[in-house]
Amino acid sequence: MSSIFEYNGSALVAMVGKNCFAIASDRRLGVQLQTIATDFQRIFKIHHKLFIALSGLATDAQTLYQRLVFRHKLYQLREERDMKPETFASLVSALLYEKRFGPYFCQPVIAGLGDEDKPFICTMDAIGAKELAKDFVVAGTASESLYGACESMFKPDMEPEELFETISQALLASVDRDCLSGWGGHVYVVTPTEVKERILKGRMD
Amino acid sequence: MECVFGLVGNGFAIVVADTSAVHSILVHKSNEDKIMLLDSHKLIAASGEPGDRVQFTEYIQKNVALYHFRNGIPLTTAAAANFTRGELATALRKNPYTVNILLAGYDKETGPSLYYIDYVATLHKLEKGAFGYGSYFSLSMMDRHYHSGMSVEEAIDLVDKCIMEIRSRLVVAPPNFVIKIVDKDGAREYAWRESVKDTPVPSA
Amino acid sequence: MKLDTTGLESLPTLIAPQNDVVGDLSAAPSFDLPNSNDFDGFVKEAIQMVKPAKGTTTLAFIFKEGVMVAADSRASMGGYISSQSVKKIIEINPYMLGTMAGGAADCQFWHRNLGIKCRLHELANKRRISVTGASKLLANILYSYRGMGLSVGTMIAGWDETGPGLYYVDSEGGRLKGTRFSVGSGSPYAYGVLDNGYRYDLSVEEAAELARRAIYHATFRDGASGGVASVYYVGPNGWKKLSGDDVGELHYHYYPVTPSTVEQEMVEATGA
Repeated sequence: MSSIFEYNGSALVAMVGKNCFAIASDRRLGVQLQTIATDFQRIFKIHHKLFIALSGLATDAQTLYQRLVFRHKLYQLREERDMKPETFASLVSALLYEKRFGPYFCQPVIAGLGDEDKPFICTMDAIGAKELAKDFVVAGTASESLYGACESMFKPDMEPEELFETISQALLASVDRDCLSGWGGHVYVVTPTEVKERILKGRMD
Repeated sequence: MECVFGLVGNGFAIVVADTSAVHSILVHKSNEDKIMLLDSHKLIAASGEPGDRVQFTEYIQKNVALYHFRNGIPLTTAAAANFTRGELATALRKNPYTVNILLAGYDKETGPSLYYIDYVATLHKLEKGAFGYGSYFSLSMMDRHYHSGMSVEEAIDLVDKCIMEIRSRLVVAPPNFVIKIVDKDGAREYAWRESVKDTPVPSA
Repeated sequence: MKLDTTGLESLPTLIAPQNDVVGDLSAAPSFDLPNSNDFDGFVKEAIQMVKPAKGTTTLAFIFKEGVMVAADSRASMGGYISSQSVKKIIEINPYMLGTMAGGAADCQFWHRNLGIKCRLHELANKRRISVTGASKLLANILYSYRGMGLSVGTMIAGWDETGPGLYYVDSEGGRLKGTRFSVGSGSPYAYGVLDNGYRYDLSVEEAAELARRAIYHATFRDGASGGVASVYYVGPNGWKKLSGDDVGELHYHYYPVTPSTVEQEMVEATGA
């Protein structure tokens, strides 16, 4: 628990469904074992079909998000289009490696819909080593529990409704085994035509 | 040890801070005001290393004032909070300031607000927040008795409950506290809660 | 009649004849000491190895009708929650309860041991042991093991001939008599609620609610506390478990989700 990655506590997960994806996080902001707030945001929208969630140190998540939005806006102005998830992942990776010897203490999770609305999810370590996945990715202090939950609950090609149910159950079950994350959940389900955002009620202990 | 806490009520926000200046086992001063008036409608309560605390809050205060002079409009509380976070975050990886901040303000459009900014530059908007050892007692006390839309009397009553709890349960409890308030009429000192009287500093 | 004086002994017999079949129950338990050249270093490492699950909120207070005892039920190892259903209130005998904070094994073992001693006292003296006596018994044993890595923070609450009794006992050898205690990582939070709501002339229902509420608020703020808020009451007729509420449900009981809150928000995505 002395790790700087576990200072604030977090739980992130993203899953791929049939022509859609879901991304979810917990809502706790803590300082070690003390809970400061239960409405903290870790998932950020880059554009309608691209989301990034940042686990780890809250301050670096905020800094990194601000820098990413800035870079994405510059890209939009120059290119007059939104970034593809793959491109964005490379941007995140580049920004992280820029701080190779004094890293941001964040493990990001990126999820988006790419060309022909093909779902894309990936995660990376604090210095930008990309790790692509076809099914699901997890991060944060509850990541070990999340691996177990996702491994047993995930099915390929789920429809948005079932995907929402699965990711929510996986998240809520996992944070119940972690002292440092939980206190509610935040889920986005993204299809080519709409973004559904839901706040989950969870255990508040 | 240092105790800073605050809460948002109906049309106002209150921040409270202890007033002890401590160095290892020595109490230098028991009437050190740790809540600064950032501008007419903002309060900044800070705890942390004394040097950093004064240097950093004054720096923020001056820059907020500079913005006002240059642009003719004051920063909103949210803007000031984000500016403070930005400065703290930039400093974090150079020579960090060890200051924890509660920023309270009142804006015409959004009403009262309270921001939590810790020394690693985590920014979050809260209804009630606290720093230091006092937080262990004051947070649960505020959780229990806080409700949205509190009147000033109710809020002060709650603040006094927190102070009493800190004084009775915290080993290294500071004797004196200052309470400041900000509402539509501006930021101002509300009251002192003193159990030992220090010799007053003659005002310059 | 043989008088049990083991509680008065300042040091336990460290190397006792091992007789597993007919052990002398009235004697203080004794443990083999490790055979090591670097004894201090060994103990230091051993303590680290069996580093007990920490993170708890327990409380107890005396009021007009007796003693109220409450605790959460979480066990954690670092950030991992190893159990949400730990019994942290130990029933020593029908008139006495102990609470558990610190090492689970240490607390369980020494409370069971205390139970044995209390029963033997009862058989020998034809009257129940006082809370004062029982807590002193425990404190003396813990004191004799001081510095060897035991981790116990307990409250002994009960009803005896003198009425309600409450003692705080810990493995550093401390023993305090009092009317209001809270122990564990969540205790400052619990005190915040408890101190403010406490009055001596509370009714049983009010006292139970205060205890439950204090545990709830501690579980909310303290990451290492949670699970179930159990509340016990000790009166003239012994202890009784009043409630065991899942704090996951308790939160929404105290703070129902207001219907005005938008639970689902639809955002229309613009086509790329």
